[in-house]
Amino acid sequence: MRLYEFEGKELFKKFKIPIPESRLVRNVDEVVAAIDEIKAPVVLKSQVLTGGRGKAGGIKTAESAEEARTLAEDLFKLTIKGYPVESLLVESKLDIKQEYYIGVTIDRANYTLVVIASGEGGVDIEETAEKHPDKIVKLPIAVEDELFTFDTLAIAKQIGIPATLIKQGAAIIVSLYNMFKKYDAKLVEINPLVLTESNLLLAADSRVSLDDDAVFRHPELKEMGIEMRHEEGEMTPRERQATEWGIPYLDLDGDIGMFPGGAGFGIMGNDFIHYYGGRPANFMDSGGGPSPERLAKMLVLLDENPNVKVIFGARFGGISRCDDFANGVVMFLKDHGLSKPMVMRMTGNMWQEGVRIFEEAKQASPELFNNVEFHGIETPIEEISKRAVELAKINAATSQ
Amino acid sequence: MAILVDKHSRVMVQGITGGAGKFHTERMIAYGTNIVGGTSPGKGGHEVSGKPVFDTVVECVDNTGADVSVIFLPARFVKEAAIEAIRAGIKFLVIVPEHIPIHDMLHVRREAVEHNATVIGGNTPGIITPGEANLGIMPDIAFAPGRVGTVSRSGSITYYVADTLTRSGYGETTCVGLGGDPVLGSTFNEILWMFEEDDKTRAVVMCGEIGGVYEEKATEIIPKMKTPVLAIIGGIYAPPGKRMGHAGAIVEGRMGTAKEKLDALAAAGAHPCKTFTQIPETLKKLRM
Repeated sequence: MRLYEFEGKELFKKFKIPIPESRLVRNVDEVVAAIDEIKAPVVLKSQVLTGGRGKAGGIKTAESAEEARTLAEDLFKLTIKGYPVESLLVESKLDIKQEYYIGVTIDRANYTLVVIASGEGGVDIEETAEKHPDKIVKLPIAVEDELFTFDTLAIAKQIGIPATLIKQGAAIIVSLYNMFKKYDAKLVEINPLVLTESNLLLAADSRVSLDDDAVFRHPELKEMGIEMRHEEGEMTPRERQATEWGIPYLDLDGDIGMFPGGAGFGIMGNDFIHYYGGRPANFMDSGGGPSPERLAKMLVLLDENPNVKVIFGARFGGISRCDDFANGVVMFLKDHGLSKPMVMRMTGNMWQEGVRIFEEAKQASPELFNNVEFHGIETPIEEISKRAVELAKINAATSQ
Repeated sequence: MAILVDKHSRVMVQGITGGAGKFHTERMIAYGTNIVGGTSPGKGGHEVSGKPVFDTVVECVDNTGADVSVIFLPARFVKEAAIEAIRAGIKFLVIVPEHIPIHDMLHVRREAVEHNATVIGGNTPGIITPGEANLGIMPDIAFAPGRVGTVSRSGSITYYVADTLTRSGYGETTCVGLGGDPVLGSTFNEILWMFEEDDKTRAVVMCGEIGGVYEEKATEIIPKMKTPVLAIIGGIYAPPGKRMGHAGAIVEGRMGTAKEKLDALAAAGAHPCKTFTQIPETLKKLRM
């Protein structure tokens, strides 16, 4: 999950990485109050979970409080790549002499961490890496190894930090690495690390992305107000609801409600629906070995979504067994009820038991199954995908 | 022949007394897998499905001769369990749990390389050599002995592909689940080469998905292989920047879109497939 710039900088502060004076504000009056404290000129920086905010007009310089007020009024109306600007970071404007890049990330192909630095900061590092690979310094390091100042002194020199400041530069790199390890990060970047006219090194921006699967180790993040979120952007209300229920869920723009088993077919099923001319309304993953209650909740999400015209269920039971799956579907049909057509296929571990559960429930209350088309291993999943697309078109036509 | 496991493998289960561990141990035994025992700290001396339980992997290896281990433990315990197994001499390790912290897996991989062990997972459905051994959570119904190998990042895709191969009469030599987590114990490269060296495997189906670099890395090895490779990649229509369930399935920057992966693999000589039904069609064209 990605952190906001201001959150990343709070972590920098904890690790003694120097940052410019700044205040987080949520309305225009707070902007003016902030400038009272930190004095103009300032930079107003939109806090959004996406890149390219500078190009989108999300960063403005103000020479006075009045100017800041006018600019902030516009910024609070701005939407960047679909994400509304809800807060600004008001930061002292720096007199920039030089900009550097410093980052730590994971080299998945070689199974190491890697410290990356460049004398050309403030620009897209991937672009520099492509066009001028010679301007980038890389130091691979094993995850269990300590990064020492003698390693980073060499890096600080190589990227051209002045001799009088290389000790500070080296310390910043070590701190960034320690922060990366401490918070189980996937990526931390200072871009740019600014050398000011008064010879200070300051982290002018932060980019921090943490490993969702290790957040449990860092309860202090929650105390700082840093909660689970997507890599990019905020959640929709339905995504928030799903997250509360512990279900990985994404809203998409189509009308076929996807009720897959694992994430693998969740992803591939999305492709299949597209191949056959349909559009999925969502991505969803049941997770390994979901309980019937959880499966029933997954169906509630889809049934209550007005965009969904048909539900497409697929279960190839591995660790998620067919008996649990069938119990979940029956629980949903009984407790909530199905308001739209559902086509599904079920096979895999405990499939006989799953079929028995369906048959018994259907015998007891056949009306619950009016809208359900059920298939087993004999029907290829491609056929079920096609059928879902067909049903969505029929239902969309009749409901118009 | 097969790769990594067969009926002679001596398999232990770490976390054998837990709910999932117990359930799948019984399934694995029912399939005919040579399960020799397991571990659960504090429960040494007990039995699960007639197999001895030990407190540590070293004790299990000393008493049963185990050379393969399957881990069924919560993600936060996996790093220690995996390192314990590798240091106790286990040469092949199957890590079933999902959502293992990335930094932990980097550590496990280094231990494995140092000790010359092979690890698959985390978040792997396991590995099956049909008719001989089924390690992990894969449903028997999808598989039959045959002549095509599969290697996949997803459990459900493994089942659909095997099911397709089984119904079209090809069957499988061995099916390997690499796992869905972002950093994996093994990559396509290592497994593809094992299939290349297996005389019974006539073709390999590799199933990748958006995110990461492992599919791109495979383009280094595919041109060196005589065994044909079919490739299917999930996530052609996935929205960028969002995590689709698998921790691995996220497009990071410019890397790892499904389309780029499929194109790169095709350029390296793999045969791209869009749906499962295209797999037997392609095999037929290759006169397999």
